[in-house]
Amino acid sequence: MNKLRQTLVAIVAGIAVFAAAWFFVHAGHGGVTPARAAAESAPVKSAVTKAIPIDSTKCVAPAEYMRANHMRVLDKWRFDSVRSGARTFVTPDGRHFDKSLKTCLGCHAQNPMFCFMCHQYANVKPTCWNCHLSPMETQK
Amino acid sequence: MLELSSVAHGDAEMNQQRREFLKKAGLGALAGLGAAAGLFPALALEKTDLSIFPEKPMPGKTRWGMLIDTRKCSEGCTQCIAACHHTHNVPDFGNSKNQVKWIWKSPYEKAFPTASQQFQGDDVKSRKVLTLCNHCTEPPCTRACPTEATFKRWDGIVSMDYHRCIGCRFCMAACPYGSRSFNWQDPRPGIRELSDTYPTRERGVVEKCNFCSERLVDGQLPACVDTCPEKALTFGDLNDPKSEIRTMLHANETMQRKPELGTLPSVFYII
Repeated sequence: MNKLRQTLVAIVAGIAVFAAAWFFVHAGHGGVTPARAAAESAPVKSAVTKAIPIDSTKCVAPAEYMRANHMRVLDKWRFDSVRSGARTFVTPDGRHFDKSLKTCLGCHAQNPMFCFMCHQYANVKPTCWNCHLSPMETQK
Repeated sequence: MLELSSVAHGDAEMNQQRREFLKKAGLGALAGLGAAAGLFPALALEKTDLSIFPEKPMPGKTRWGMLIDTRKCSEGCTQCIAACHHTHNVPDFGNSKNQVKWIWKSPYEKAFPTASQQFQGDDVKSRKVLTLCNHCTEPPCTRACPTEATFKRWDGIVSMDYHRCIGCRFCMAACPYGSRSFNWQDPRPGIRELSDTYPTRERGVVEKCNFCSERLVDGQLPACVDTCPEKALTFGDLNDPKSEIRTMLHANETMQRKPELGTLPSVFYII
């Protein structure tokens, strides 16, 4: 009888822990859910604005994503364009970009210090400018 | 004494119960999460959207080639070399040890060492032949490369990925045409005027002609073909029977460099 009661208590406790986990999972995604809903409705919007020229005022990906992953994007773009010739990158909202460092520098070279400021702050020394001409060298 | 031991025994039993309880509670939570992931897809891992990756070009559809008319190529003219080397930031250190070359002129007997040389006219013997990477159909350099830094592209161009080159120079030993150059030192000081059309290289990488793949993307002809004042260079798709280069190859007697090696060069010559 005592054993049965213990098992029951354990199961109830398990359910309680699960409920807590459920709560945390949902609490974490609470901010994302509306954004995802907006992204799902985006293709309808882009179908209407398809004739409008490329909007280069918006980056290929959200700023937070690019801040953390720009090196991975560049590596993937290099591999795709150099090795398989798949040069066109299409954003989820339907904008087309050439997979090239020049695409990035087309906007980001407006501020010649764009790359350098952050790399210096983060104390990283990428070797990009050993070969590629940096905005500091092209804008004089 | 007896009491103490029973207390200790009770403690041990208590711990055992606590351990059992935690085990069951943990299992219950895990089972709940697993069931939830199955029941509600939103809880499972996010799936990759493959629809954003466009189709790749088909291999074997295009084979870029070049036809060089050595009769039209005027002696002493180096406009194509200057244009190519400026476009691609090729350094010039003024000595042959550090020389980096993408396109250059060779004496006839150096360009075609295995072709018949007997009783030829002085005109042909003294002729300078424009030489560059042959973009072989069976390139020996790509087989030698241990890092796949040099590779055969889908359009027949033998390309270099300088990011992957480790500077072992196996490709230079493998190339029967001497089309590859090594950067023994930082090339930047050897570049008179930096061009923003193409990156430079760095110390310790091999480089060579890339058939202006960066210009082909924009629909432009290679820099050497574009600048030749005598129109001695013809560029086009060797796999297209109606292309200009194929009609020229059909109408003229042409040569390839060292054809006996079986590398099947994509650069042809009219002597």
